Amino acid sequence: MTVEAEYVIADPVVASVAARAAIETSGVVRLEPGLRGLVTAWTRAARQRWKGLEPAPADGVRVRTVEGRRIVEVDVVTSGVDQAAAVGRAVQRAVTRAVADQTGLSVAAVTVSILDIEAAGR
Amino acid sequence: MAVNQDYELPCGRELDTVWDRLDEVGAGRADEHELSCPHCRTARESLLALREATQELVTEPDPPPPDLVGRIMSAVRAEVRRGQMLNLGTSEPGGVEVSEQAVAVVLRYAADSAGDVRARRVRVRTVGVDDGGAARVEVELTLAVRLGNGDRGQSLARVRELVTRAAAARVGLSLEKLDLLVEDVYEDGE
Repeated sequence: MTVEAEYVIADPVVASVAARAAIETSGVVRLEPGLRGLVTAWTRAARQRWKGLEPAPADGVRVRTVEGRRIVEVDVVTSGVDQAAAVGRAVQRAVTRAVADQTGLSVAAVTVSILDIEAAGR
Repeated sequence: MAVNQDYELPCGRELDTVWDRLDEVGAGRADEHELSCPHCRTARESLLALREATQELVTEPDPPPPDLVGRIMSAVRAEVRRGQMLNLGTSEPGGVEVSEQAVAVVLRYAADSAGDVRARRVRVRTVGVDDGGAARVEVELTLAVRLGNGDRGQSLARVRELVTRAAAARVGLSLEKLDLLVEDVYEDGE
């Protein structure tokens, strides 16, 4: 008799894997946490004090599951040296690949929002 | 002209002004612009939400994170930008989009590098979507040109070329139309 084991990988794990993949993509300057991210980071910091855990940062990344499809949204700032559209597509591919490789989960869609492009030479 | 352009909203108001006038507006003493402007409203809502959150944090025993105001301002700015996004098109599932503001900054920078002109305001308008899913945009660029020597027609042609090229190379957008409006002149040393 085989025991069936189910592994549950929580969204925050997917988010931090995605965040790491995005920030390591060439042309990405940083992730943009935005307002939601800022408040989330504060509450996380508060929670940390209770639990003594330090979860991996995932600011600027949201993971949602809509009708069974896992959707990752990433907010980034890109460098003005590279073409924003190309960097965005590279982030899409990097996130999908990293999540599959490191968690075994598939991502149905990755939406990349480029909120800022840093001017070249600034 | 504002030195700190980074905190300027698309309507021309400074984020700092919106912050300073939060209570005035809350007390019903908004001016006409504040009542009608969607950018100011978005910024105001974000700032109010943040102020609420920060007031909760004040009761926290820990000292606030360093550079609190800077982080709040940058977060709110990102939020305002999120309001107007242009699709860049992608073959991957999902999407790639860029904020109009970011595009405007890139184009303004490109225009400035033409020399003999100073770019002022950039308006980006979406007029449709191309086959690849990317937005088709029209751009209106307001300029001041340098008074005196130099061929004005030539420098405008250079602006046109640099802006079109920057849109393609730096952003990945092709411009459907580019209007250059010369609204002012300036002299050297101004």
